[in-house]
Amino acid sequence: MLSLLQTTGTAVPLSAWVVMLGAIVLLWGVAGWALYRTLTDEERKLDLIRDHGTIDTYSPRTMAELREWIEAHPDHPENETAKAAYNDCVETLHEIDTPFYEWSDEQRAELEQL
Amino acid sequence: MAMVGAMVGSGNIWRLPYITGENGGGGFLLVYLFLLYLIAVPGLMAETMLGRYTGRGVIGSFRSILGEGRWEGFGLVVLIVNIALMSYYAPVVGWILYYIGHSLLGTFFQPGFAAQQLWTAFAASPVLTLGTHTLAVALIGGVLLFGIRDGIERTVKWMFPALVIALLAVAIRSLTLSGATAGLAFLFTPDWNSVTRPSTWITALGQALFSTGLGWGIAVTYGSYLRKHDDVALGGGLFTAVGNTSIGLLALFAVFPAVFAFGLEPAAGSNLTFITLVQVFPKMAGGPIWAILFFLGFFFAAFTSGLAITEVGVTTVQEETRLSRKQSVLGVSLAIWLLGLPSAYSAEFLGLMDFMFGNWGLPVATLAIIVVVGWKMGPGWLLTPEWVRLTELNRNSDIYVGRWWSLIVQYLIPPIMLAIMVYFVVSNIGQQPIETAGGVVLVGIILVASLVIMSATRQRGASQTLGGD
Repeated sequence: MLSLLQTTGTAVPLSAWVVMLGAIVLLWGVAGWALYRTLTDEERKLDLIRDHGTIDTYSPRTMAELREWIEAHPDHPENETAKAAYNDCVETLHEIDTPFYEWSDEQRAELEQL
Repeated sequence: MAMVGAMVGSGNIWRLPYITGENGGGGFLLVYLFLLYLIAVPGLMAETMLGRYTGRGVIGSFRSILGEGRWEGFGLVVLIVNIALMSYYAPVVGWILYYIGHSLLGTFFQPGFAAQQLWTAFAASPVLTLGTHTLAVALIGGVLLFGIRDGIERTVKWMFPALVIALLAVAIRSLTLSGATAGLAFLFTPDWNSVTRPSTWITALGQALFSTGLGWGIAVTYGSYLRKHDDVALGGGLFTAVGNTSIGLLALFAVFPAVFAFGLEPAAGSNLTFITLVQVFPKMAGGPIWAILFFLGFFFAAFTSGLAITEVGVTTVQEETRLSRKQSVLGVSLAIWLLGLPSAYSAEFLGLMDFMFGNWGLPVATLAIIVVVGWKMGPGWLLTPEWVRLTELNRNSDIYVGRWWSLIVQYLIPPIMLAIMVYFVVSNIGQQPIETAGGVVLVGIILVASLVIMSATRQRGASQTLGGD
C-alpha cells in the first residue's frame, strides 16, 4: 500500500514513455501491418488460384536458396523431395500468366528444372 | 484469422493484467515482449507448420515424425497439458458468464455497489462457482457436440470488433481517471530489479506461451486443417502471436490506470480484471451498454478459445481411439469438467494450477513441439530446420522467412527455455521449496507417464496383432 501511495500522483517518467511507445509499435504497429498484409495477400492468392487453378509456390529468394541447398546436399535423404518441390514451382511459373510472388519475366524465362 | 480468433481470449484480457500486476509491471512487460518475439513468433510458425505438414492432431503429428512407440508420448504430453489448462480455463469462462448476468441486471450501477464484495460473494458460493463452471463446459461441449461451431464463429466475427471497441472505450475512460498516470508509470517504467529476477522470466515465458496459444496443440490442430496454398509464417506465426498480444496491451491500458485511480492493489491476483473494470463502467457515459458489450465480447472471445482448446482433445481422442466424434466430445468434456471442479471451487487452487501448468506444463509441451520441428522433422537431423524452412515454411508464405528461423528453432529456443526453467528452480528451491519442486515433479511425472503409456499401448497393440495372426 505504501508503495502504491508513493506512486500515485507521480508523473510518467521518460523511460516509461519510451517503453510504452516501443510496446505500441511492436504490438499494434506490427499487428496492423500483418493484418493488412495477410488480408491483401490471401485475397490475391485466391483470385490467382481462381484464374489459373494454381499459383507459384516459392518466392525468387526462396527458390535461389532452395537451389543452393539442393546442390550443396546431393546425398541428403530429402534431396529428391526438395528437387521435386523446386521443379514443380518452375513448371508452374512457366505455365501461369501472373505469378503470386514478384518474378520478372526474365527471371521466369531463365528458370530451369533441376 | 481463425487462429487469432481462437487464441484471443482470457489469456490476454484476464491473465496478462493480473500476471503483469503480480510481477512488477514494466520490467515484466519488457521480458515478456522479448520472449514473445524470440520464442512465440518462431515457435508458432513451427507448430502451425507441423500441423500442415502432417495433417494430423497432436499425437498423430508426433507419430508422423517420430514413428510409432514411446516417443509418441510427447504428443500425449501436449494433450495432457491442454486438458489440464482447459480444466481451469472453463471456470474463468464461468466467471465471465456470471458477470454477463450482472451487466444485464445493471448491478455495477446500483448505489453502494462494491466490486470486491460482488467477487467475494461469488467466490464464496460453491453453487455459483461450480454452477457457472458446469454451464461453461456444457455450452462448449454442446456446441462441439451439435456441430454448431461454424455458427458461433460467425457470431464472433461481429462480437470480436465489439470487444475491441468496448475495450478501447474502457481504456480511454480509464486513462482519463484522476490518478491514472500512476498506472501508466507502473505498467511501463522498466524496473531493472524485476528483469533480473528468475520468477519474472519463468512467468513471462509462461505468459508468452499462454496468451499466444503456443504449446497448447491448437496451432497443430488448426495447421492440420490448412490447404497446401495457405500461408503459415505470417498468419499462423507473426499475426497470431502479435495480434493476440495487441489485445492484451489494450487490456493493460484499460486495467492499470483504473487500478491506481481506484487505489486497488495491482498484485491482487487472478480476479484483477473483474474487480477493476466493473468500477470503470459507472464512470462512463452509456456505462451499462459498454458493460454489456464488453462482457459479451469477452465471453465470445473466451468461449471460442475454449472451443479451440477442447477441439484439440476431441480431434486427438477421435483419431487415436475407436470412439465416435460424439463420444470423444462427451469424454473430453467430462474430463475437463471433473478436473476443473477444484479450480472452480477455489480461486487459490486455480492460481496453483495456473502456476504449475502455465509456467511448467506449457514450456514442456512447447519444447516437445520445437525439438521435433528443429531436430527431427525429416531425416538428417542436423540439416532438418533448413530443409523445413525452405520447402515447408516458405511455401506460399506471405512473408519470406530467413535463416534466422532455423537457428532460433534449433539452437536458441530449446536451451533458452531450459535455462529459464533451471534458473528458476535453482533460485527458488530454497524460498518456495514445495511450489518449485512441485513444478519439477509434475513435469517429470507427466513426461515419464506419457512415454510409458504410449510405449505400453503400442506394445499391447503389437502383441494383439501377433496373437491375431
